[in-house]
Amino acid sequence: MIDPSVLSLSAKALVRTVGDTRILDDIYLDVPRGQSVCILGRSGSGKSSLLRALALLDPLSDGFIKIEGNAFGRDMNAQGLVKHQTQAEIDQIRSRIGFVFQDFSLWPHLNVRDNISLAQRIVLRRAPLEINETTNGIMSKLSITNLADKHPGQLSGGQKQRVAVARALALSPALMLFDEPTSALDPELVGDVLALLLELKAEGMTTLTVTHEMSFARRLADRIIFLEKGRIIADGPPANIIDQSNDPRLKQFFKLI
Amino acid sequence: MQLDPTVITDSWQLFVTGAFITLQLSLISFVLGLLLAVPVAALSMSTHAVLNGIAILYLAIIRGVPFIAIVFIVHYGTATMGARTPAFWSGVIALTLFASAYFSEVIRSTVSALPPGQWDSGRVVGMSRLQTLRYIIIPQSLGPMIPPGVNVTIMMIKESSVISAITVGELTYQGLVVQGNTFAPFEVFITVALIYWGITLAFSRVAIWAERRIGASQRSIRPVGGIAERYLTLSRPKRRAEKS
Repeated sequence: MIDPSVLSLSAKALVRTVGDTRILDDIYLDVPRGQSVCILGRSGSGKSSLLRALALLDPLSDGFIKIEGNAFGRDMNAQGLVKHQTQAEIDQIRSRIGFVFQDFSLWPHLNVRDNISLAQRIVLRRAPLEINETTNGIMSKLSITNLADKHPGQLSGGQKQRVAVARALALSPALMLFDEPTSALDPELVGDVLALLLELKAEGMTTLTVTHEMSFARRLADRIIFLEKGRIIADGPPANIIDQSNDPRLKQFFKLI
Repeated sequence: MQLDPTVITDSWQLFVTGAFITLQLSLISFVLGLLLAVPVAALSMSTHAVLNGIAILYLAIIRGVPFIAIVFIVHYGTATMGARTPAFWSGVIALTLFASAYFSEVIRSTVSALPPGQWDSGRVVGMSRLQTLRYIIIPQSLGPMIPPGVNVTIMMIKESSVISAITVGELTYQGLVVQGNTFAPFEVFITVALIYWGITLAFSRVAIWAERRIGASQRSIRPVGGIAERYLTLSRPKRRAEKS
């Protein structure tokens, strides 16, 4: 089962600079397998940037990320030399990360089944039979089997999100990243999203979720990370961060929410 | 004023020959221009400073210079360097350069109009840049490329008339010949204009058909159409019911 001593994700000294601004400033983050992490912070604090960096979508200015033992960035070998990954290696690591975008970013020209199966075919090069089986399994798990032949333009927000989650899960990722999973949905769907994430958590999936929903963070997170100006200023179990923190910055934030 | 139809009926073969050569010029340059536009568009979207610079310079020159100058440079310029290109092929080269610049801008603008999330969503599942382009970006761009592409093609067909200046026997050139023989510019150039209009109209009908086909194969995307329909047709575009 899950061995919590194995790190799913490990980020060291991450820095991302755009112009003169340090969007991510010296981020250290170790996430053991199976942990549910919620990332909180004000708008512009770097939450989404951190998630994008961890998904290897944006280049790093410094530091490195290890995902399931595969390094990305300025990893040093035993001699202290910088190792560079080839583009193919980076693409390979990416396919191990499931990412659900805030706006879902489904592929509008493909139907739901093809949205879920495309990367299985061209990235993982699974056999057609296996693709069929995996896709059907994932669709029934997420109760979207009836949508298989629909195009994203014909789906509601909640349905789109389930398809986006299915597309990511179909690649059997090592960890799942969610960028504000509730922000593009009607408030009454927040409960559904939470249920879905709790189900993933129960199955032992490592998840990192950027969110504004405090109820969400309380019920889902094993651990909360609080970002400000690209730095992690608090890191711990929800009870410590939300209710008992003495840090005035955190107090103010939770009072506002 | 009296219009004399015999001016046209006596020389109809010349108009047919001219129209045929105009079609040849346009068709060959259309295909070559599209082919050349793809690498130009790729360079103009490249993040590599030098490659990008080459594309920017190319586009600035072709788009910033009158077409007739391009025609003369290609035809007479290459001749002075010892390359004697037949006038027809000089015309094809000039028109291809012209079309490639505008087609490449159509490609670039359509591709960059897609939400950036579409690139990210391809990359994040482990697709390479090329795979993302092939499976995600291009299929979504083809439909939206048609209306501005039609625009460029129609412009190109009309611009081919300039090639008469290097004595290629296309439609405008034949018009000038008939006019020289008959001193009836009004009859002659109304006929020439009608033939150009007929050619562009026929082309836009083909484009509407293509647009509908691509639109139908991508149900999710707003059914394209309408824009091509507006060009050079006499009927107003019909509103199609859109399913949302």
